[in-house]
Amino acid sequence: MASQSHSHLNGDSNTHIPKKPKLSSLSSSFITEVEIQSEFSHHDSTIARINNGSFGCCPSSISNSQQHFQLQFLSQPDHFYFSHLKPGILRSRTLLQSLINAQHLDEISIVDNATTAAAIVLQNVAWSFAEGKFNQGDVAIMLHYAYGAVKKSIEAYLTRAGGHVIEVHLPFPVNSNEEIVFEFRKALEKGKENGRKVRLAVIDHITSMPSVVIPVKELVRICREEGVDQVFVDATHGIGCTDVDMQDIGADFYTSNLHKWFFCPPSIAFLYCRKSSQCLDLHHPVVTHEYGNGLAVESAWIGARDYSAQLVVPKVFEFVDRFEGGIEGIKMRNHENVVKMGQMLAKAWGTNLGCPPEMCASMIMVGLPACLGISRFLIKSTTKSMIITSSGMQLMSLLAMGSLALFFMVEEMCGLVLGYFSWFCNHELPK
Amino acid sequence: MDEKEDPRNGDHVTKKPKLLKLSISDPEFLLGSEFSHHQPGTARINNGSFGCCPESIIAAQRTWQLRFLKQPDHFYFSTLRPNLSKSRAVVKTLINASDLDEISLVDNATTAAAIVLQQVGRRFSHVNDTVVMFHCAFPAIKKSIQAYVTRAGASVIEVRLPFPVNSDSEIIAEFRKGLSKAKSNGGKVRLAIIDHITSMPSVLVPVRELVEICREQGVDQVFVDAAHAIGSVPIDVQEIGADFYVSNLYKWFFAPPSVAFLYCRKSNSSSSAMHHPVVSHEYGNGLPIESSWIGTRDYSPQLVIPTIIEFVNRFEGGIEGIMARNHEQVVKMGKMLAESWGTSLGSPPEMCASMIMVALPSKLCVTSDDDAFSLRTHLREKYKVEVPIYYRPPCEDDGEKEPRDKDGFWRIIKFARCFRPNEKVGSYRSSLPSNDVCVSPVADTCGLTKFKNNRILEDTNG
Repeated sequence: MASQSHSHLNGDSNTHIPKKPKLSSLSSSFITEVEIQSEFSHHDSTIARINNGSFGCCPSSISNSQQHFQLQFLSQPDHFYFSHLKPGILRSRTLLQSLINAQHLDEISIVDNATTAAAIVLQNVAWSFAEGKFNQGDVAIMLHYAYGAVKKSIEAYLTRAGGHVIEVHLPFPVNSNEEIVFEFRKALEKGKENGRKVRLAVIDHITSMPSVVIPVKELVRICREEGVDQVFVDATHGIGCTDVDMQDIGADFYTSNLHKWFFCPPSIAFLYCRKSSQCLDLHHPVVTHEYGNGLAVESAWIGARDYSAQLVVPKVFEFVDRFEGGIEGIKMRNHENVVKMGQMLAKAWGTNLGCPPEMCASMIMVGLPACLGISRFLIKSTTKSMIITSSGMQLMSLLAMGSLALFFMVEEMCGLVLGYFSWFCNHELPK
Repeated sequence: MDEKEDPRNGDHVTKKPKLLKLSISDPEFLLGSEFSHHQPGTARINNGSFGCCPESIIAAQRTWQLRFLKQPDHFYFSTLRPNLSKSRAVVKTLINASDLDEISLVDNATTAAAIVLQQVGRRFSHVNDTVVMFHCAFPAIKKSIQAYVTRAGASVIEVRLPFPVNSDSEIIAEFRKGLSKAKSNGGKVRLAIIDHITSMPSVLVPVRELVEICREQGVDQVFVDAAHAIGSVPIDVQEIGADFYVSNLYKWFFAPPSVAFLYCRKSNSSSSAMHHPVVSHEYGNGLPIESSWIGTRDYSPQLVIPTIIEFVNRFEGGIEGIMARNHEQVVKMGKMLAESWGTSLGSPPEMCASMIMVALPSKLCVTSDDDAFSLRTHLREKYKVEVPIYYRPPCEDDGEKEPRDKDGFWRIIKFARCFRPNEKVGSYRSSLPSNDVCVSPVADTCGLTKFKNNRILEDTNG
C-alpha cells in the first residue's frame, strides 16, 4: 500500500501514544544545550527574542515533522484526505484532552488560533440575539485589557446584534488578585442593573498588554454565583505558560494557542466547550459538508487547506518530554528566569514590576526609566519589546521570556537590554 | 524591493529559476524535477479536488515560512502586508478587475462563500426573500446556505442542472424557470449563486448569460462560485459582470494548499459590508485588509503567487497555453474512453474546460452513491487510479429519454486533467503492461466484477 511506505516517515501513524524518543545522549536522558541550540538554529542569531508571546517559536524537529505531513498530502492528496487526515486530528485532540483534563473528547476542537475560537463563541451569541433567545441590551462583560482582536470580534458579533458591552477596568500596575476581583464584581453589578441579563463573560487567563495572570478560577466562580449565562476564558497564552485544568477552572469555553508557548508551528489552537445543552449549537463560521456534525468535526474540515500544524501535536508532546519535568519543568524554569530578569532590570533602572511575581507566568512587565521620555505608543523592533503607556505616564516594558530562557544567559540578555536603554537615556528619541 | 530590504535577516529569497522555455513535450523533465514528490505509479486524474503544486513553488513557500520563523515580528511588521499586496496585484491583472481593493485572498472558496452568505444573511428583511442556486452546487455551499440563509429565515430555490447536457440554452432555460419560481409569490431574489464550472457533474456553465438574466430579472446580488475556473478557463470579471467571484488557486493554478481569491465588485454597495468571519483588529478596514490578518497563522500560500506566474510563464503560451492543451487532451482522452466503452460524454467538448464527464459502462452496475464511492476506492487501491465517480440518479424528467449505453444505464466517471497528460500516461505505463492506460483497469473491472456493498464479487454475467 502506497500509504504505508509513507507512514514510516512519521513513525507513529498507528499509535495513539507518542513513542518514547530515542535517547540522544549517554550521560543524560534529557535534551542537551547543544541540541536546544540546534533545534532553534533557524532563529536570527543577531536578535534577542524577548517577545515569544506574540508568535512563539517552533523547534526544527517539529518543522520537519510538519513538512513530512505536507509532503504526504501533496504526494497523494485524495488518499491523505480519505485515510490520514481525520485519524491524525483525532490523535491530536486526544492528547490535548488529557493535557487539559477535559472530560469528553467531543469537548475539544482544533482551530487556527484564539481569534478563530473567539469568532466561533461570539457568532453563537449573535445568533442567540438574532433568534430572540437573548434580549436587546443584554450584557457581555470583558476585561478592559482584552486582546484587540477579541474586542473587535465582540463589536462585530455582539454589539452589532444588539448586545451591550461592559468593560472591567483592570488596575495596572496591580498588587493582588483582590484588586482584580473587586473591579470584576463592580462590572458585574453594573451589568445586572435595570434587570439586564449578563449573557457572557470574556475573561483573559493571562492578559497580553499589559501582561498579568488573572485569577480566572475565582472569577468563574463569581460568574456562576451571579447568574452569568456563559463564561469564555481567552487563554491565548495559557498552554505552556500556566496551569490549565478544565475541571478546576470551570469555564464553559476555553481557548489557548499552541504555537505561542507549546512549540507548535503556526498555527494551531484548541477550543474547549464544556459539554452541556448550551454548547451544542456552536459552529465553525467556515461551513462545509460537515456542518451539523459537531464543532470538533466541523473544525477538522473547513475546506482544502494545510492541516499539518494540527497533525504534529504528538511530536510536540515527544519534544516537550525531552526536557526535565516536561512542560511543567519548562514552565517553572521560564517563570523563575523571567522573574529574575525582571527584578534585575527593575533594580538596575530604579523602577518596579507591573505586578508581583506570583501574578506572572512566563512574561513580566518592567517599568522603563522615565528618562526615556516616551509619552506615546512605541514599538521598538530591535529589542523586541513592546512599550505601552499607562495612565500614570509610567512606562512598562514587556519582556516575554519563552523557551529560549533555557539557553540564553539571563545576565547576557539583560545586558543587551540595559545597554540599549542606557543609549536611549542619552539620546533623543526619533519623533 | 522587499527581497533586498534587510541584510540583517541574511535570508535567501527564492533564486530566480532557470528561465527554461518548456513545451509540453518535455514531460520527462517536468516529471523528474517539478513533480517528483507525486506518488509514483498513481494515475492522478482527480486534479480538480486538490490540485497539484510544483516543487519550485513548494521551495518558494518554504522560504517564506522560514523567514517568518526566523524573525516573526519583523516579518509581521515589514514583510507580510506589502507582499500580500503584490499577490493581490497579480490576481487583479489576471482576472481584469478594475481596482486592487476588489481583491481579497482567503483560504478557499468555502471561506469565500461564508463571507458572502454572512453578508447576505444580514440583509434579509422579508419572509419571501430567496436565494437561487444550482441543485448540484458544491455540498459545502449547500450547507453554507443552510447555515446562513435558511437559518435566517429566507428560502432557497434549486435550479436543476440538466445532465447530460447538450447546449448552453438548456441550462439557460432551466435557470429562467428557477428565477421565475423564486419570484412567484412576490419573493425578492437576494442572491443567485452560479457555478462557473460545476464540480459533480462537471460542466462549464454560461455564466455571463446567466448574470445578464439576473440583472434583467432584478436579482440583488450575483455570486459566481468559480472554484475550478482560474487555470481552467480565461476569466474576465468585467465581462462576467458578477458582484462576487471566487476561485481556488491551488486547483488549477499550481498554488500550494491553500489560497483562493474573492473578487467583490466595488460598485456593489455591499462590498463595504463584507467581513471576514474571523474578526481581528483589522475589522472595519475593508475585506482585503481584514483577510490579510486573521490572527497568527501561515500565510505563505498567499505569498507565492508572483512565483507561480514565473512558473507558468515557463510554458509555451503561459497559462493560456496550459489551459488550451489541457482542454485538448482531456477531450481527446474522454472521447477515446467513450468510444472504447460504447458510452458517451456528459456534455459537448465546448462545455468542458479541463475536466470531462465520461459515462461508465453499465456492466459495472453502479446504482448508488455508495457504489460509486466503492468503485472509486477500488480503482485507487487496486489500480492506483485516482478518479472521482459521479452517480447520476434517474430523473423524473427522463422518461423515454433516460440515458442508456448499449447495455443499460449510465454511470459517469469524471476525469480531471492535470496539465501534463503525457506524464500520467508515462508514469502509469511503467506500472502496467498495457498501453491502454485508463481503459484497461475499467475494462478488467467490467469483465470481472460487480460492486455491491464494498465487496467485489465474481460477475457471473461475464
